[in-house]
Amino acid sequence: MTVTAERPAELTPRRPDRGPGSRADGWIRRAPLLPALVFTIIVTQLPFLFTIYYSLQSWNLVRPGSRQFVGLDNYILVFTDSQFRQVALNTVLLTAGSVLFSLILGLLFALLLDRAFLGRGFIRTLLITPFLITPVAAALLWKTVLFDPTYGLINFVLSPFGAGDTDWISTFPLTSVMVALVWQWTPFMMLLILAGLQSQPHDVLEAARVDGANTWGVFREVTIPHLRRFLELGIVLGAIYLINTFDAIYMMTQGGPGTASANLPFYIYQRAFLGFDIGQSAAMGVVVVVATIIVATFALRLIFRSFSGGEET
Amino acid sequence: MAEVEFDQASRIYTAGAKPAVNRLDLEIDDGEFVVLVGPSGSGKSTALRMLAGLEEIDGGQIRIGGRNMVGVPSRDRDIAMVFQNYALYPNKTVGENMAFPLKMRGVPREERVTKVKAAAEILGLSEYLDRKPRALSGGQRQRVAMGRAIVREPQVFLMDEPLSNLDAKMRVSTRTEIAAMQRRLGVTTVYVTHDQVEAMTMGDRVALLKDGELQQFATPAELYDKPANAFVAGFIGSPAMNLFTLPVSEEGVRMGSSELALPRALRSRIADAGLSTVQLGIRPEQWSVGSDATGSGVKAQVDVVEELGSDAFLYAHLDDGEQTPVVVRTGGRSGARRGDQIALTPTSEDLHLFDPSTGERV
Ligand SMILES: Nc1ncnc2c1ncn2[C@@H]1O[C@H](COP(=O)(O)OP(=O)(O)OP(=O)(O)O)[C@@H](O)[C@H]1O
Ligand SMILES: [Mg+2]
Repeated sequence: MTVTAERPAELTPRRPDRGPGSRADGWIRRAPLLPALVFTIIVTQLPFLFTIYYSLQSWNLVRPGSRQFVGLDNYILVFTDSQFRQVALNTVLLTAGSVLFSLILGLLFALLLDRAFLGRGFIRTLLITPFLITPVAAALLWKTVLFDPTYGLINFVLSPFGAGDTDWISTFPLTSVMVALVWQWTPFMMLLILAGLQSQPHDVLEAARVDGANTWGVFREVTIPHLRRFLELGIVLGAIYLINTFDAIYMMTQGGPGTASANLPFYIYQRAFLGFDIGQSAAMGVVVVVATIIVATFALRLIFRSFSGGEET
Repeated sequence: MAEVEFDQASRIYTAGAKPAVNRLDLEIDDGEFVVLVGPSGSGKSTALRMLAGLEEIDGGQIRIGGRNMVGVPSRDRDIAMVFQNYALYPNKTVGENMAFPLKMRGVPREERVTKVKAAAEILGLSEYLDRKPRALSGGQRQRVAMGRAIVREPQVFLMDEPLSNLDAKMRVSTRTEIAAMQRRLGVTTVYVTHDQVEAMTMGDRVALLKDGELQQFATPAELYDKPANAFVAGFIGSPAMNLFTLPVSEEGVRMGSSELALPRALRSRIADAGLSTVQLGIRPEQWSVGSDATGSGVKAQVDVVEELGSDAFLYAHLDDGEQTPVVVRTGGRSGARRGDQIALTPTSEDLHLFDPSTGERV
């Protein structure tokens, strides 16, 4: 992005007037892509423009004829809505928590799988499986098979210790959702980090051992610096996917009790399709998009830095 | 500083397979520069890595300074190693790379800085201390790897083909630098190479391995003059020694149609060994070349002339019906040409004789 700007001017090649590399030639090359571009604009940008338009209206579907232009009122409501703030905080907690815990667990499992032991291939397959399960099914599994207060496995296992009557999902709603998400995302992080571990040059590890590093020293001084870009990539990709979590919340808690476990996508869905408040939810959508763009620009930077191979010193 | 001892040390990678290093016996003196040399796959790297603690010792012992190293992890062996691809830490600067072994041993920061500065000074790396290895040339990386080894002041240096990634010229100059530095520091060094020129020029003593077995462990001169077997004779020296398997006759040996007289001392050694055929080794410089007309000597025909300026090598074949190849060194500008008929006579009394069945020196 900024690379072109930093390039010294005299190195920029001059564009020929005709033939390969000229402006006309560029258009000939790109023209076949135009339909795809137009399509993308129609399905992504037009709805966004409509959303902006709706966000300036007061429009509740259950009160026909209530539709009118109200300017920025909806936005003011968004920022004064304490539930919205609570839900935004939930989103941050859920995303950051899930990414962080799955990253740590993934790192541990990857370290385990990086060494040879009997049945490694089998264990690896088992560890990857959660990632292959449909998110809705996984959420349902956690809700009914594991967390259920009467027939859940967790309470069953805990009952001999006299602690078997907790309703996990209503007592710790956000944490329960997070547990299910971490369970599902740990394999992704594990695979990513495992790829990083296995791409370590052997002789560098051996050199560190000869140079007097113990296992922890090798890990801290050689492995972690090597893994840094893999960890960054895991954080960014995980955050991009997990910030949009909807299925797990919908299946497990419906955002409740109250808004205790709702995140932004779920809350907006509730306001639009359960509360029928189109104007208000459109305004929220716009706020979330803008916030996401700001965060994503930051995140994309990180990705590009990871891929470009250049490191800051 | 310490002496190093391989005592019947073996390494078996896969159970049942041939050992990569088989009952190796070496006694290396304190401060000595020993080169392990041998063809590819002969177990040189394995032997070195056993000493470094990077491979198990499956049989026998390895001792450093009299202490048995079986089961001792690398970090407790007080050794420093230079790897073939240098194995620098890519995320650390040159200075941090060189300081790393000190840091891992808990040397205080100021002392680390002083030592790294001093080593960088010696190696001409002072201006690169803040760079990452990626921004260095191959030769500079090689020196960083050397620096990382010497700041430690270890008991033993281990080097596994440290010059093989350098160009021919750098290799020759770095070769002398390493040898000189080792003499100055007086640290016991084990150096692995597949290049016999490196082995002969650098080592106080050279250990020649083949298929995991030690063939000979001696000074370069002794290796050249008294090879213990036909393999050593063929491996050391460039171009290689001429080896012929010949029937023994009254006056010496029969070479094609002609008779090659051998000195009495050699004849009695053959007789003592009770051999009817013998493997005769003659180095390229142990021939004298006459033109065909002079009559005496073994007849041969020149195939290729390699003119090197100071001397020339003639690649010829004998007129013995089997076209046995032979290499002869003559003075430069010998005037020999392809197709010339020549007569060869051994000049030296010190020809090499080996038992054709065992390859052992007679
Ligand atoms: N990790 C390993 N597992 C199994 N066999 C191995 C392993 N490493 C080496 N070997 C075998 O051990 C033998 C000796 O290998 P080694 O690397 O010591 O040879 P080398 O003398 O260093 O050769 P080169 O000059 O090619 O480096 C070879 O036959 C090789 O195939
Ligand atoms: Mg090797």
